[in-house]
Amino acid sequence: MTDSLPHRPLSMLRAVVVAALIGVAFFLPQLFGGSSVAYSTLTTIALFAVMCYGVDVVLSYLGEVSLGHTVFWAIGGYVAALMSVHLGVNGWVTALATIGLSVAAATFLGLVTLRTREFVFSLVTYAAAVVTHEIAFNWDAVGGSDGTVGIPALKLPLGFFTYVGGTQEELWPIAFALLLLTLFFVARFRRSRLGTTALMVHMNPALATSLGVDQRRVRLAVFVISAPITALAGWLYAYQRAYVGPDMFEAYFLVMMLTAVVLVGRRILLGPLLGTAVLIIQQNLLSLGGDWNKVILGFVLAAVLIFWPAGLMGLVDHMRQRWLRKTRTNGRENKRSYMEEVQ
Amino acid sequence: MTAALACSHLTVSYDGNVALNGVSLSVGSGQMIGLVGANGAGKSTLVNAVAGWSRGRPAVSGSVTLDGADISALAAHARAQHGLLLVPEGKNIFAELTVDENLGLVRAPRDVAGRHVFSIADVFNLFPRLTERRTYKGGSLSGGERQMLAVGRALLAAPRVLILDEPSAGLAPRLILDLLERIRSLVDRGLPVLLVEQNVKAALKVVDHLYLLERGRIIAGGPTTVMKSDARIVEAYLGTLAVDRA
Amino acid sequence: MNLSQQIVNGLVLGSGYACIALGWTILLGVARLVNFAHGQLYMLSAFVTWYAMTRAGAPYWAAIVIAIVVLSLLGALMQLAMTRLVIEQNLTSLMIVTLGLGYVIQGGGALIFGGNPQTLSSVLARTKVDAGALWFTWQDVLVLAMTFVLYAAVWLFVNRTRFGSVIRAVAEDPRLAQLFGINAKLVYLGVFVFECAAVALAAALVAPRAPILTSMGFNEVIMTFVVVVLGGIGSIGGALLAGLGLGMFIAFFGAFVAPAYTTAAAFGMLLLLLVVRPVGLATK
Ligand SMILES: Nc1ncnc2c1ncn2[C@@H]1O[C@H](COP(=O)(O)OP(=O)(O)O)[C@@H](O)[C@H]1O
Ligand SMILES: [Mg+2]
Repeated sequence: MTDSLPHRPLSMLRAVVVAALIGVAFFLPQLFGGSSVAYSTLTTIALFAVMCYGVDVVLSYLGEVSLGHTVFWAIGGYVAALMSVHLGVNGWVTALATIGLSVAAATFLGLVTLRTREFVFSLVTYAAAVVTHEIAFNWDAVGGSDGTVGIPALKLPLGFFTYVGGTQEELWPIAFALLLLTLFFVARFRRSRLGTTALMVHMNPALATSLGVDQRRVRLAVFVISAPITALAGWLYAYQRAYVGPDMFEAYFLVMMLTAVVLVGRRILLGPLLGTAVLIIQQNLLSLGGDWNKVILGFVLAAVLIFWPAGLMGLVDHMRQRWLRKTRTNGRENKRSYMEEVQ
Repeated sequence: MTAALACSHLTVSYDGNVALNGVSLSVGSGQMIGLVGANGAGKSTLVNAVAGWSRGRPAVSGSVTLDGADISALAAHARAQHGLLLVPEGKNIFAELTVDENLGLVRAPRDVAGRHVFSIADVFNLFPRLTERRTYKGGSLSGGERQMLAVGRALLAAPRVLILDEPSAGLAPRLILDLLERIRSLVDRGLPVLLVEQNVKAALKVVDHLYLLERGRIIAGGPTTVMKSDARIVEAYLGTLAVDRA
Repeated sequence: MNLSQQIVNGLVLGSGYACIALGWTILLGVARLVNFAHGQLYMLSAFVTWYAMTRAGAPYWAAIVIAIVVLSLLGALMQLAMTRLVIEQNLTSLMIVTLGLGYVIQGGGALIFGGNPQTLSSVLARTKVDAGALWFTWQDVLVLAMTFVLYAAVWLFVNRTRFGSVIRAVAEDPRLAQLFGINAKLVYLGVFVFECAAVALAAALVAPRAPILTSMGFNEVIMTFVVVVLGGIGSIGGALLAGLGLGMFIAFFGAFVAPAYTTAAAFGMLLLLLVVRPVGLATK
């Protein structure tokens, strides 16, 4: 008790600052002029960031590259589309179904890839995405190649009234809440036993084994909890676009997820959010056209890993250390010349 | 006359930790030089730096000359092509290649001036045991056979200087001296050898000159006859028994 | 459905899979590198061949040579950019980098060649072989023959020449290879350039069978992966057999079960393999 006392004012201060930042962030669309473009861009950033956090959990803490997260992304979109169009159910029901189905899919995929590592794991998850795409494209019951159009506005009954997310302005609070929820979840995960064990399995497998950690269980658990994050982003995406089709499997989303995670740096809580923001702003506001955007996105992904494997934060760190070292050696040299003068 | 191999002021650090501190030594032509020291003294670090090679990420400074030519700027494979042949400690052959394929990786240089040329027949004469193992994968060889193969492939590259890092590691005691004596026979034919050896007693029987390395510095060095009775060598490595015998 | 026709179709499909997988077999199986841009390189090669023939008026064989040269240069550039990751054997980063580069190639391909489907027409692809009731073209015969020749040549090269030993040595231990006087970076460069040249040749041979699009390439990667894994990573003969076997399976599956779900069926085989023989997937 006494130990934690001195920290208390600090953590109070922290909480106040975080709350203030969240408050400011919520009014960002207004701060950027309150136009429909501002709302839709920020909504897109929020929901794409959530999509990326699913991959982030696996890549940053397990060290594996899942190329199958577009499957979960599409599960969210398809569940929201098909259930609200054909069954007319509200957003809570589709969200629950999204979570359930994505967890089931991740469990299946996680179990069959349990013994695979590195690029084999990636290739199998990649294959899963290609195959799910083929099925979605050919199976008319889920819309086939045309997909599903006319998805009704997102309705979330809250007891005494129903929140309707029809416009971009109305969807923003939901995207924002989903993002906060995700950040909270990932922050908790990082400090949880599962999170720290996963990092140990990734960074020091020998130590993990010697401590009796069941690595497969940890890998499976992390993979499974990452799925509903990306899936819920897909769920909201369906309501935002009012259309869902096999284009949800496009490589774009996959490359986007990976780039957003590695751009700022792995294992940084706000990294994927900032990465997504930079990329979406480029694509929405400084776009050079779809094909050029592909070239840019792919190039950024490759260049970051080749030149700054630790991402932009790593670059900043590197610069700071160089600067520190330089000032330090300068100091030493000064001292030496001073000594020489004395002699 | 210039030394076959010389290094001066070699300093090596790993991640800022200095493992070798300004070491200079030289190997004269036709000489066998021994390098001994406790585990972690920096022997491997030294010979690896001489060869421009490492499995880690060392920061190296200092210079290395081979037959008078400065080779400090060359990459490891280029130094090997110039005739500086290192047989490293630990894994030093390819486990998934057969003995013949391991030996076949090496290409003798076209210009053999100043090189000590060995044919494949020479290698099999020196190590008859390898003849029976030609079609076996490297991974199936015994420890002694692996060392023979590793030395054999280095000889095929027509070395100017041969560096051996603990060739006796993992060998049965009775085999150690046998291997070292075979190598000595090469020196007697003119090949300069720098030998890193844990077994000081065995090393003293074959080398001309001995250096003692401790915590990254050479703390003693001299002709074998002198070093045999050097207090530091006797205390740390030979014990009283050896003094009696000497 | 004619059974012998399905066998012919299986051979035709299978030799195509094996042909496309050749570069990967060496890259992954022998040198232990990965290239997720494989499918996009296939796409690019097909378009370079098409461009050389339709826009520059080159004959088919010359267009093949042009595609091989262009892809080899591109491969060399890619490999030079990735040298550090390759020497460190950082497969995870290599995989993401090649995925990103594949995306660049896809976008770049669309910018250069446009978004419309094109046909790569070779004279051989239009000439049908008259063999009773059986239906196939001279292009199919060419692909099958070239696949066998290429696999045999590569097998001999890897297992019977000094260069083959050098590649295997570098794959096992690039650092140790340096002490043998081998320039490991150069060997990796050579292997990667070979992979690109092989995919260029494969594309020029196989792509005339169907319309080409700049968005293609994903199925090729999956099929290649299945072939390499099914054949046992590193086994050249295994990859050839696996390619033919997979072709047979897909031909029959497409004819008798569901033609739209052939990739899914191949994936099913992969999953089965993962569950039944997971050790076969261990690379190191
Ligand atoms: N690759 C490496 N990375 C970091 N430190 C190393 C590495 N290799 C050796 N060292 C350190 O350098 C010192 C000297 O090691 P080494 O040269 O292997 O000694 P020796 O061969 O005499 O036993 C030791 O403290 C060792 O821990
Ligand atoms: Mg040592």
